[in-house]
Amino acid sequence: MMDKVGAVAVLGGGISGMQAALDLAESGLKVYLVDNKPSIGGVMAQLDKTFPTNDCAMCTMAPRLVEIGRHKDIEIITLSDIEKIKGEAGNFNIILNKKPTYLDEEKCTGCGTCIANCPTRNLVQPLEKTKVELEPQFREKVLEIIKINKDREGPLMSVLQQINSTFNYLPENALKYVSQELGYPLSHILMIATFYSSFSLVPRGKHIINICMGTACYVKGGERLMDRFSEVLEIKENETTPDMLFTLKTVRCIGCCGLAPAAMIGDNVYGKLSTKDIPGIIEKYKTMG
Amino acid sequence: MAVRRIELMLCTGTGCVAGGAFRVKEALENELKKQGLDKEISVIITGCNGFCGQGPLLVVQPDEIFYGFLNPEDIPVLVQEHFLKGRPVEKLMFTPPEKKEPIPLLSEIPFFQKQLLIVLRNKGIIDPEKIDEYIARDGYTALEKVLTSMTPDEVIEEITHSGLRGRGGAGFSTGTKWKICRSEQKRPKYIICNCDEGDPGAYMDRSVFESDPHTAIEGMIIGAYAIGVSSGYIYVRTEYPLAIKRMELAIFQARNYGLLGTNILDSGFSFDLEIREGSGAFVCGEETSLIHSIEGKGPEPRQRPPFPVQSGIWDYPTVINNVETWANVPVIINRGAGWFSKIGTETSKGTKIFSLVGKINNTGLIEVPMGITLREVVYDIGGGIPGDKEFKAVQTGGPSGGCIPVSMIDVPIDYESLTNAGSMMGSGGMIVMDEETCMVDVAKFFIQFTNDESCGKCTTCRDGSEALLEVLENIANGEGKEGDLEFLEEVGIAVKDASMCGLGTTLPNPVLSTLKYFRDEYDAHINEGRCSALVCKNLIKYYILPEKCTGCRLCLKNCPPEAIKGELKHIHIIDQSKCTKCGTCLDVCPPKISAIIKVTGKETENITGTEDPYPVKRKKGEKNET
Repeated sequence: MMDKVGAVAVLGGGISGMQAALDLAESGLKVYLVDNKPSIGGVMAQLDKTFPTNDCAMCTMAPRLVEIGRHKDIEIITLSDIEKIKGEAGNFNIILNKKPTYLDEEKCTGCGTCIANCPTRNLVQPLEKTKVELEPQFREKVLEIIKINKDREGPLMSVLQQINSTFNYLPENALKYVSQELGYPLSHILMIATFYSSFSLVPRGKHIINICMGTACYVKGGERLMDRFSEVLEIKENETTPDMLFTLKTVRCIGCCGLAPAAMIGDNVYGKLSTKDIPGIIEKYKTMG
Repeated sequence: MAVRRIELMLCTGTGCVAGGAFRVKEALENELKKQGLDKEISVIITGCNGFCGQGPLLVVQPDEIFYGFLNPEDIPVLVQEHFLKGRPVEKLMFTPPEKKEPIPLLSEIPFFQKQLLIVLRNKGIIDPEKIDEYIARDGYTALEKVLTSMTPDEVIEEITHSGLRGRGGAGFSTGTKWKICRSEQKRPKYIICNCDEGDPGAYMDRSVFESDPHTAIEGMIIGAYAIGVSSGYIYVRTEYPLAIKRMELAIFQARNYGLLGTNILDSGFSFDLEIREGSGAFVCGEETSLIHSIEGKGPEPRQRPPFPVQSGIWDYPTVINNVETWANVPVIINRGAGWFSKIGTETSKGTKIFSLVGKINNTGLIEVPMGITLREVVYDIGGGIPGDKEFKAVQTGGPSGGCIPVSMIDVPIDYESLTNAGSMMGSGGMIVMDEETCMVDVAKFFIQFTNDESCGKCTTCRDGSEALLEVLENIANGEGKEGDLEFLEEVGIAVKDASMCGLGTTLPNPVLSTLKYFRDEYDAHINEGRCSALVCKNLIKYYILPEKCTGCRLCLKNCPPEAIKGELKHIHIIDQSKCTKCGTCLDVCPPKISAIIKVTGKETENITGTEDPYPVKRKKGEKNET
């Protein structure tokens, strides 16, 4: 959802750093992969097998090593430590301290002349920070939600919950605006927004149909309700009908186990559902609009 | 207040509301008015009565007559017969499945007889939206006693002596927890009420909030006084809108009565509460994760120690207790630790609420003394398994628990016995499974759940659940192979040992316990391609019995993928290459005929569905010759 600008520094060239660098580069970003060792590879390069599948470590790693070496958007910087980070998450400069390489360590006095004259500067150009403006349809409500919660301790969850329930999803600009107003980095807000299952980053239908997949509902055929809803609405799980009326989701137990199998549409609970009831229920909501 | 002849306690828990309780209420009020009884008889809405399987339901007081499965259409008859003419209506009473005689009185229904109500003492008796009714039932007297005659240390002493242990599942001594937090030097301190009831199949916390919110509030105020806290949080799942609404109202009323806020009951002690909502993440029920969630941080658990009692929310000492734990506190204070500790077993005191659900006759919420056996719960309270099916196992403790087989049905229910049986107390879900529940499928279901809900911080939990799921799916799909079960055990134990929080260390339990008790079922899936419970789709086929099919075309018309061939008065055939195994045909085939069966294992070999439909030759009641 974000514009692809700027560059990313991945610190640590172990297996996770390598994979992160590859994923980022594949999504179109310039990546600097930094490690303080003379080579990337990390601990995994020293292992024989890995948990839980007992796969050979080198077989997992080697293709990634090759791919990173070849990738046009990944620049590997080894033998480097971080000296300083300036700025905030999402917009910062890193100053790296690269240890001397190809030097006769016996003779080097560490005078620093070579560093001063080195043509390479590992600097990221900072982005111009623009002020976020909200679209008119979101403006009033978002401002109000921020105003109500601003002075609470730990306001972020409440703000996101209220935005989500007001618009049925979290609009991108609203998140950027929240970041600007409350001072949370956007990356943090996105981490929260994608962690919880009741948040959505894409618009959802007016009526959210939650099929309960708690244990009691599952043993009494919750899955078959899902199939039938999916068939009647002609959408799959987590999709929205083109008329923006219905979104189909599963939920982990709505606590109506005595009524299994159950589903929840908006705040209304439908218990002891049979696949036969479903077309009628959908019709009812359709006429309601 | 006007004196009423009769009061009708209408349950409006989530279950009954979904069943149409408010429509019943409207019908009742209209009919009472019509008959001119509205001055003598009042309809009172109460919280969850517990017998959710019978909803919408109503108890007539003071006669204590129980009516279930109410429809608005039944109401005129009920009002005219019972309230006007004084003849209770038998057909709306509870009738046990195996008997013909209905049981009119609530106290004589076996479901209620073996229960011991402490936390749920007010369920179905008071209107949860009126604080006065809670006070009339000795509400807030424990708070008054504490504030006027006890020191904080005495309160903690009392709770410690009572033997109360955390009802969230782990069973840590509540008194000890409070004591540690009290002795911490850092200020301020906080308390939290954990109502992030994520365990599928458990809904007791929701029910407490919906039927008696003030008992949890009173417990929290007493706890706050004992520990030395001036503000607290209640963390509720967003999936419980009614519980949130009732709790908000309860807090508002308590504030108005001076029971929350500054200088409570003129004692100089101040305390207030705030509700925070979850947003649908199972891991947030874990205490450190819950704290992160309130703080607006990434809701991942963290390493303990330091425990929340030392460094919790905003890095201040914090006591987190489950709803049920808080709700026990006022009763212990009022009736004394000595009384409380007489209930239960040596190590587990008091009662525990379970949600008894699944394949059982009487589903609902029950509160039983610790030490009761599973047999008593399943057969005496639960009324056994419906439809003469064979009882197979009870699953307790949600995704962190395990399956207890029929052979261990006489195990007493307490923290230690359940852990020894390979399961755990958990928050109190109790899901009954019969012969039609496949244990491989159940294990797969739970691992799917935990795999989905794992926050991803620990490798063993994140990747281990993935590996377990893959193998379980293979087995359920009939692609299991030699060595799979050993692999499941090995990975399961590794995940248990190497994960950090409660989610990871318990997630292999469903797999390990089913492997321990139902290994033959796993073997049958792998070696014979047989799912004896007829659940695993890839291992079963639907088949129409020619000797029973009457050629009525019902199944043919309803089959979504149009896999059924046939015409009127012809034996229908299911084309196995088209069948998606949705089970619709089985649902629509009239029970009198029941021509459709599921088969598994060797029996599926010769069923292809390539033959053509042929006419029904027999006359009514005769068997077909072919």
